[in-house]
Amino acid sequence: MRIRSGGVSDVGRVRTNNEDCYRIVPDMGLFVLSDGMGGEAHGEVASALAVETVVKHCLEGENNPALPVFGETQAGWSPRTKRLSSSVHLANKRIFDSAAQHPEQSGMGATLTAIWLVENSLSIAHVGDSRAYILRAGSLQQLTSDHSLVAEQVRRGILTTAQAEESEMQSVLLRALGANPDVEVDAEEQPLFPRDILLLCSDGLTRMVMEPEIAGALQSEPDPGTAAARLVALANERGGADNVTVIIVSAGTESRGWFSWLRRAERKSTNGHGHTGGK
Amino acid sequence: MAKLSLMFEQRLVKEVPVGSRPVSIGRSPDNDLPVDNLAVSNYHARVYFEAGRLVVEDLDSLNGTFVNDMRVERATLHDGDSIWIGKHHIKVDATHDTALPMDYGRKANAPRINETMVLDTKVRRDMLQQAAAMGERTQFAAGRLKVPTIIVLSGKTDQKEYALTNKLTVIGRSSLATVRLKGWFKPVMAAQINQRDDGYYVVAGDKIPTVNGSPINGPVRLNDGDLIEISGVRLNFIFRE
Repeated sequence: MRIRSGGVSDVGRVRTNNEDCYRIVPDMGLFVLSDGMGGEAHGEVASALAVETVVKHCLEGENNPALPVFGETQAGWSPRTKRLSSSVHLANKRIFDSAAQHPEQSGMGATLTAIWLVENSLSIAHVGDSRAYILRAGSLQQLTSDHSLVAEQVRRGILTTAQAEESEMQSVLLRALGANPDVEVDAEEQPLFPRDILLLCSDGLTRMVMEPEIAGALQSEPDPGTAAARLVALANERGGADNVTVIIVSAGTESRGWFSWLRRAERKSTNGHGHTGGK
Repeated sequence: MAKLSLMFEQRLVKEVPVGSRPVSIGRSPDNDLPVDNLAVSNYHARVYFEAGRLVVEDLDSLNGTFVNDMRVERATLHDGDSIWIGKHHIKVDATHDTALPMDYGRKANAPRINETMVLDTKVRRDMLQQAAAMGERTQFAAGRLKVPTIIVLSGKTDQKEYALTNKLTVIGRSSLATVRLKGWFKPVMAAQINQRDDGYYVVAGDKIPTVNGSPINGPVRLNDGDLIEISGVRLNFIFRE
């Protein structure tokens, strides 16, 4: 499957420094995003350390399958999902150790959301309140669970989603990298379907731009880099209260040849009914 | 506790709390909120809690139920909404149901938190315990342990039953689909069932499924026992104990 991708990060309209960090490694199909926190410039240190550790550990694992795997893994996971999860555990440890050695960094932390795409298999690893979304057949779906207090309250049926969006407690996280010597990492695998579009973003996007608008931008702008830039611009137009980072990854169509050409023609005719399946 | 206030013009007629039992609204005097007006059906609508959300449901009334300005069959209610029935309206007060007690000694600087912070383990445990206690009080915790399951009632699929363990479930002919439809002319991706924080949603694929007979218009949250029809296959969504 042909993969196209693009990413944009911006300081926003209010803050003076950008504590977000992201990395796209197209040759590996690896996409990593982190949102740092902590006083002075230490959020930047934490998110950069997180992204660098994840990319490096995954790359080393590709070259050396015997490289140790950190943290708990599930038996059903592919070696890549295990490696990705391991890299997040390692990033947690690096940030925690660095803060322990440098008292001025005390309290620094970071979110981390990473996806690794190989053929039609998608591995996801995640800690914090950055998000991964998938746009499939016109519908946007969040792939990751926010590790925030309000999201946990929604899962427990205490808050509604609307109440969570208005809550003043949105910035309270239950999990982040660097807060404890080890961290619970969410990891899972999904099959990737042709025409799926993936989006990773920091909360600077989702606090400013609504999900139907995100879905709209992904559907109307075929170039991933341009779509990412458009979403970042929209977050800034709304006030840009936080740093905002967006990565978009677009899966191509399955096959070429005249059979797929026929199917495309069929799709064109069904599109005439105006069905996009979105909200 | 959420509260409904029946108003006629600016005058308060009656106020009732919404608890575990639905609040019925209609012209018949045995309703919890009787509305004495010929434009109102005998049993017009009801309001109840469902998975933590306050919901209004129209009971096939003749003149309809409106939330703010929109006619609805069923809608989630938010604090400050108005339900219009004939010339009466019902004000929704849901402010007090959800506040989690936050008395862990930080009240002074609790109000607005702009900087992201991480709860340390002890505070986190305390808060989640409080949250769990509230969850039990509102009777939602028990429902979480059930396994969402799709049972095939008719149509050709590769299995007769599917436990929805994955966040994303695709129904279609694709070899990657969870619920695989058999037959050459079936759509590759007919529909999807996706897990969100507040439940399971059926979502369109290349086709539009129906839920309990009505075609969906955007993602629809599934309830225990719902019937989904897509591309000649009938599926029953249940929560299995």
